[in-house]
Amino acid sequence: MNANTDLREIFFNECEELLEVLSDGIAQMESGEASLDTVNAVFRAVHSIKGGAGAFGLDALVEFAHGFENTLDDMRSGKLETTPRIVELLYMASDRLADLVESARDRQECDPAESKSLLEQLAALSGGPSTMSSPSEPETEVDFAPMTLDFSLDLPDVGGSDGTHEFRFTPSKELYSSGNDPALLFRALSEIGEMNITADTSCVPPLLDHPWDQAFLAWDITLSSEKTQDDILEVFEFVDGMCQIEFKEIPHNPTEGSSRAEEPDPEPETVPQAAEPVQPPAPPVAEGIKPKKTGESSGPNTTIRVDLDRVDRLINLVGELVISEAMLTQSISEVTVPSGSKVETALTTLKQLSSEIQERVMAIRAQPIKFLFQRMSRIVRESSQATSKQARLTTEGEMTEVDKTVIERLADPLTHMIRNAVDHGLEKPEKRLELGKPEKGEIILSAAHRSGRVVIELKDDGAGINRPKVKALAISKGLIPSDLEMSDTEIDNLLFLPGFSTADAVSNLSGRGVGMDVVRSEIQSLGGRVSIQSTPGHGTTVTISLPLTLAVLEGMVVQVAGETLVVPTTALRETIRGRSATIHQMGSGDKVLAMRGELIPIVDLGERLGFRSTPQDLDKLVFLLVESDADKRTAIAVDRVVDQREVVIKGLEANYGRIDGVAAATILGDGRIALIVDTDQLAAPGPSRSSAPMFT
Amino acid sequence: MSLRDNLRVMVVDDMSTSRGLITQALDAIGIRHYSAEKDGKAAFQRLTASPVHLVISDFNMPGLDGLQLLEALRGHKVTQKVGFILITGRADPALIERGKKLAMNNFLAKPFDAPKMKACIEQVVGRL
Repeated sequence: MNANTDLREIFFNECEELLEVLSDGIAQMESGEASLDTVNAVFRAVHSIKGGAGAFGLDALVEFAHGFENTLDDMRSGKLETTPRIVELLYMASDRLADLVESARDRQECDPAESKSLLEQLAALSGGPSTMSSPSEPETEVDFAPMTLDFSLDLPDVGGSDGTHEFRFTPSKELYSSGNDPALLFRALSEIGEMNITADTSCVPPLLDHPWDQAFLAWDITLSSEKTQDDILEVFEFVDGMCQIEFKEIPHNPTEGSSRAEEPDPEPETVPQAAEPVQPPAPPVAEGIKPKKTGESSGPNTTIRVDLDRVDRLINLVGELVISEAMLTQSISEVTVPSGSKVETALTTLKQLSSEIQERVMAIRAQPIKFLFQRMSRIVRESSQATSKQARLTTEGEMTEVDKTVIERLADPLTHMIRNAVDHGLEKPEKRLELGKPEKGEIILSAAHRSGRVVIELKDDGAGINRPKVKALAISKGLIPSDLEMSDTEIDNLLFLPGFSTADAVSNLSGRGVGMDVVRSEIQSLGGRVSIQSTPGHGTTVTISLPLTLAVLEGMVVQVAGETLVVPTTALRETIRGRSATIHQMGSGDKVLAMRGELIPIVDLGERLGFRSTPQDLDKLVFLLVESDADKRTAIAVDRVVDQREVVIKGLEANYGRIDGVAAATILGDGRIALIVDTDQLAAPGPSRSSAPMFT
Repeated sequence: MSLRDNLRVMVVDDMSTSRGLITQALDAIGIRHYSAEKDGKAAFQRLTASPVHLVISDFNMPGLDGLQLLEALRGHKVTQKVGFILITGRADPALIERGKKLAMNNFLAKPFDAPKMKACIEQVVGRL
């Protein structure tokens, strides 16, 4: 059933939100800031998951949620105090719940034993399993007889079912300043029914005292229409919050028993409150026909769920739009257009629009990184348990928005980094105390937007990288020659080499055959960079820097041997003209650039990509100095730098295949395809040359 | 025109899944005039402005819960006689007792299906 699969999907999406509420709530309990509202919210989250799961027949989930809910219910009613032990169990239970949701979504079986033991522990808190009712057993018989409605199809009256609505419309100054015009609203109203309207100018001050930017007008409107009050409010939907609509009750033959006077008010009252009928005072929310201010209308934030495919198609189209705009710009620049002409203005507007559309569309895909960070707190808990270390995770900037795909693909690398930080970074509690550090290790995970990129940092206050050990290990594994002089940064970056693992014994935690090299390649495939800094005794920081979107990149458009190529600016440090550079010839024919006491290998882009074979006169070339992740610099020689601009990335791998040294392609303004080069691969020794050692 | 064609229903539930499940059941029953709100306060405001015959509300909601909504409805002259069905995950006696005091017309325990929903509604409004 299609409707059901849709609902199922909605349910699992909603579960993610509820799990977020859940872990937020538990975190608050842990910090001791929890109020009864928090406990209630946590309870509701679990309860809602259970309710939905029941509808889809997800029994394992229902059963676990039910037991979990019982414990929370006891906390809610004050039967259970919040203790560290309980918080720990709640965390475990919420992790388990997340697992169950996940396996239910993927229609996989989940080992029931773990649920069972957790449920027993939870039940033990509340005083043994006896108090626990099972969700499957029929609910306790309740004494209830349904009450048949004394039923007639006539609906009670809400002001003028004879078709007369009276209300007062008072626009605020925001209504005018946002460019709305009451006249248009009146016109829309007049389409609903016959309208009688009087402007109330009594509040308007004399012209001399009139503050120019304030609003004083109000209108009293009588509308004869079959439509309901809701339909009238709909007219004002677009000025919601910028005006006051006060409905007056029209005394009228009530169909529902009401003791009100029958005679209609002869003279329309202008003050709505005065029109309140005599009525025994009801609870404050339920008084008379409340003048409904449209400003306080329903709904917190309204969202819709959209299939990701649709968004992606849109993003693709926007990419095309950016390209056609560039093509248009180029063709216009080729014909002579008088400056200041309309074409030019229109083009500028088009450019602004398309770049704004691009930005907005990308924002659709962006999500706060919070959900990912929350998952990481679980990893910290599990890893510290497995290694009998103590660690606390602090997250910063969790509302930073990142592309959804990036978030998804970051999960694995980040998990691995955190395991590493706990396993290899933090010291054992005894050791930490000995060193005068707090017993509990600190791990800080932060995210921020920095100059057009997303920077994610994982910082621990552990022992830092043991450089002599790392170097010795790399030598013993044959990764580097034994006599190599290396800087601290270079040693730290050895961790990213394939086949490297620092743990003496492969622990069952981080030594799962995935090393930091996998982390690095995953980050790189997202167009990002990862680096590591460490201070012995004080800790390690791993920094990931990612592009904001995967669809666009900033690049230098260059020419090489008649071909147009794009060099991403992310790795670019500076450009140097060939004739002002000092070039040295090395023995084998390789050339290096001498700069500020450093020798930087030169890669001729044309030669490297096979566009030409004859060596060029380097004097006539331009060098683009790029820096790889390992802080290694390379000078890429090109014929000419044409432009610097944003280009839309078009993947080559799906349509053509992987090309060494090429990351992707783009379409330029003139409609030609330009390859986007992969600077990291260019800097690495290419297939044409004999494999030189990585670190030279 | 049968009753089901004329019956106006308001569904109140904070979870879109549950709203979907309820409206799906209403579709299956053939009730066409329904609207939905996602919290008790909004539902109350809407109901007093444009009343319906029957409110089907979840109990477990932030802000106003189902019974608080019922209490507010019963306290307002426009909505005081509206039919009210409470959807609840746990039909515990204390809760039902509270509902009874507020002249709740019926309740329905989760999980439910369209036939159960239909029976529950018919107990309140008669044959659909």
